[in-house]
Amino acid sequence: MKKFISALLCVSSFSFASMIGLEAMGQEQIAGGSAAMAGRGFAGNAKTGDAEGVSVVNPARQAFDTKVVLNLNFLLDVSTADRSNSHFTKTNLSMPSMNLSFPMGDFGAFGVSLWQHYAASMREDFENQEENQKAKIEYQSSIYELVPTYAIRLPFYRAISLGASAHFVMGSYTRELTLGPDNSEIDEADAWATNNTDVSDYVNGDWEIKNHPAYYTFAAQYRGRMASYFFSFTTPYTLQNELEYNFRYSETDTLVPAKHIREIRVPAMLATGVNYRFNKRHNVMADIAWRAWDKDIENAAGSWNLSKVTKTQNDFNISLGYQRDGSDIFYESYWNRITYRAGVWFKNWYVQDVSEIGGSIGAGFPLGRKGTMLDLSIQGGVRLTDDDRNWSESYIGIRLGLLGVGSWGKTRGQ
Amino acid sequence: MKKKTFILFPLLAMFLSSCLFDTDDDGLSSWLSDQGMPSSYKVQMVTVNDLKPTSAELFKDSLPRSAGVFGTFGASAGMVHDAVFDFAVDSAFLADLKVADSAKSYLSLYLFDAVYWSKVLPSTVLPIEDEVNVNISWTLSEKLTDAELNALETVVDSEWIDGLKSWKTKKTADTTVSVSITKKDSVLVLDLPSAFIDDVRKNSGNRRLQLRVSAPEAPHAYRFYGPSVGLLVSPILYMVEMEKDSYRGYRSLRAATLISNREECSDCLVLHGGVKDSLLVEFPSKPIMKALSDFYGDEFPYDAEDVRQSVVMAQVTFYRDDSKGSNELDMPIAVEAYTYTGDKDSLVCSRDNYSKYNDSLIAEKGHPNLVFHDGDSLTLQVTTGMRDFINRASDGRSFKMKMVLDRSLVLDKDEYFYGSNSYYVNSKGDSVRVFFPYPDYARYDFSSIKNTSTTLKLWLASKRGEEE
Repeated sequence: MKKFISALLCVSSFSFASMIGLEAMGQEQIAGGSAAMAGRGFAGNAKTGDAEGVSVVNPARQAFDTKVVLNLNFLLDVSTADRSNSHFTKTNLSMPSMNLSFPMGDFGAFGVSLWQHYAASMREDFENQEENQKAKIEYQSSIYELVPTYAIRLPFYRAISLGASAHFVMGSYTRELTLGPDNSEIDEADAWATNNTDVSDYVNGDWEIKNHPAYYTFAAQYRGRMASYFFSFTTPYTLQNELEYNFRYSETDTLVPAKHIREIRVPAMLATGVNYRFNKRHNVMADIAWRAWDKDIENAAGSWNLSKVTKTQNDFNISLGYQRDGSDIFYESYWNRITYRAGVWFKNWYVQDVSEIGGSIGAGFPLGRKGTMLDLSIQGGVRLTDDDRNWSESYIGIRLGLLGVGSWGKTRGQ
Repeated sequence: MKKKTFILFPLLAMFLSSCLFDTDDDGLSSWLSDQGMPSSYKVQMVTVNDLKPTSAELFKDSLPRSAGVFGTFGASAGMVHDAVFDFAVDSAFLADLKVADSAKSYLSLYLFDAVYWSKVLPSTVLPIEDEVNVNISWTLSEKLTDAELNALETVVDSEWIDGLKSWKTKKTADTTVSVSITKKDSVLVLDLPSAFIDDVRKNSGNRRLQLRVSAPEAPHAYRFYGPSVGLLVSPILYMVEMEKDSYRGYRSLRAATLISNREECSDCLVLHGGVKDSLLVEFPSKPIMKALSDFYGDEFPYDAEDVRQSVVMAQVTFYRDDSKGSNELDMPIAVEAYTYTGDKDSLVCSRDNYSKYNDSLIAEKGHPNLVFHDGDSLTLQVTTGMRDFINRASDGRSFKMKMVLDRSLVLDKDEYFYGSNSYYVNSKGDSVRVFFPYPDYARYDFSSIKNTSTTLKLWLASKRGEEE
């Protein structure tokens, strides 16, 4: 455990998030953002095995689990946006998900996931006295989902399982823009009146689903000897963001807050994937998830020249991955017990003209004999844009996952 | 081996990131600009000239006030100040007085030297040598038990002061007193008329005596220490039994000042200093909205709370003519502005602080919010009120503000102007007095506000985009 903590402290000194879609929902964490999935390019929702646990895309998978799996994921990344000769870099740390799956034998499997589905984070300030510029900008948005899942294998055909999950959405949105005065338009003799007067445009509000407690995912999975498949359908829903706008001179000196509710219609998602196992421990896998956006997203904006909407496009994610499972025989060599992963993905963002290409390598290091594992993945890639506002980005990042596998409720030899 | 792996990976990533990624100076500002985000707020100014008030109403302060620390009696410009004292007289001394052939009484007041001996008091104020006609009136209670007499100590001052609003004089007598105040005098002794002591000594038993001192024709209001400051300077009523040459001094338990407004012109807008007289001025919404509309080119008032722009600073400038006013202390007096904020149906009136200082103007001409000062204008900052007014003008409200005479300013051209502290410590470590800490019983006639035009100057921060 000391090793794990020292590693975490070491890497938590820097981190990441994209600067695209800040005014909408922010960056989406694909497939629950798990470190193991990320290591194989976010493919492998169809892969079954002891250490897989909850999949937010494919809730049917966990019916094949035999052990309790607890999984915590951390994400750290550096992201650079650039256009022409300008670029800037920022770092961020987040915890995209934590999952728990609890198999109950013939009664199916229950699981729960806390997933930071979308996140936007930024905190920057700069000052240039010659140009009358002084600004501090802070975005903090996260849309969390609490996802209880249930899956069961068909009693008459055990190779097929059915699963369902409910996504209870919560989270908050904050944007604070603090600006200094630009007196260039007024007479110099009048400039005294704005000394030390910074104004702050402060927006904050909560996320929830409109008129409904949750949205749902239904899935079916087939597990064959070599090949496994899944198919899932996620219901459309309307995200509701109740915002309060404050134009303020200090926290106690503010205009009457203006209130506004923005609604974002998130379309249904179809997802499917395949995992093919060969030579016992080698797996190749491919996944596709697809959503057809037909409405633009209203931005938090409402002032200056900020865009009022974020235009959307069909959003899909194609992933290809490879995994060599580590041996679960504890007296084998350590290198043989490590799980190795690699993968690539292409993602069309929900934001128009934004796509992402990424690749990753990863490994799962067993810690001790009891099935505890540290998943590590290193990812990198580019987000390509083709509009006036969003800048293209390149990023590298590290994901860490802590996995605990336990044989809860089983006696020795069972 | 494992430990090394854990630490090696992140360090490698950090090293890579520091080599591959860095931020150039213009990166963030040009990213902000591409997002349509501002990198500062543009300050814009709108001036509304020829603003005429729709109404101006005077509210006169007539409430009795505590003279615990200091009280006044006499008269100031347009105001009469009466002092009232509360005494507990015991039966033993009254019995002595009753049998005596003759008796005398006088009231000893300690002059409020914090004002009269102040180093910053202009030399024109002293000496004061007045012959003053003084009217004394008093009430004596029924006989009190010892317990009741002792209980007078514990009467709540504010309740007693409140009860003075309905003071009914039972007995009264006149006398003439010589008042001499120089930098050496510290006591003012008022010989009370014999009618007073003769009336008191008719009575026996424990009594409560309340004494009012009034001098409406006096050329000045005389300041004295109140009973809360300490025994040494408390007002004391001496009653002397002449034959035995024995006397008792009764310390005033509490004291108050009753004020009354003696302005003859009922239409005039005369504010008095040292009291809470206030002038409520109301300006129409339309010319302000029109000026904003002309400047921004869109509708004012907005159909909801207007957050398209916000007031960073607002100043109203009135025409000023000091010749119709008078002040005692010969120092400029600051004017406080109060404005209204909140829902139209439940407006809250609060002080709009004079918080931003135009240093170069102050060094040259002094603070702009002063009367009895050079120049012919009075400029008040009304930022909070004007911000709220423009924000909520859609409910049809007008802009209202109140003016009150505040304290006298010792340093009128100093950049320091603190609301609560009357002095500051300079770089040499000396305390420098900015305000004179006690009121000037001045009078100032603001009648010209009704007929002369006022200028409103607004500094605005806009949230509008360029295309709007």
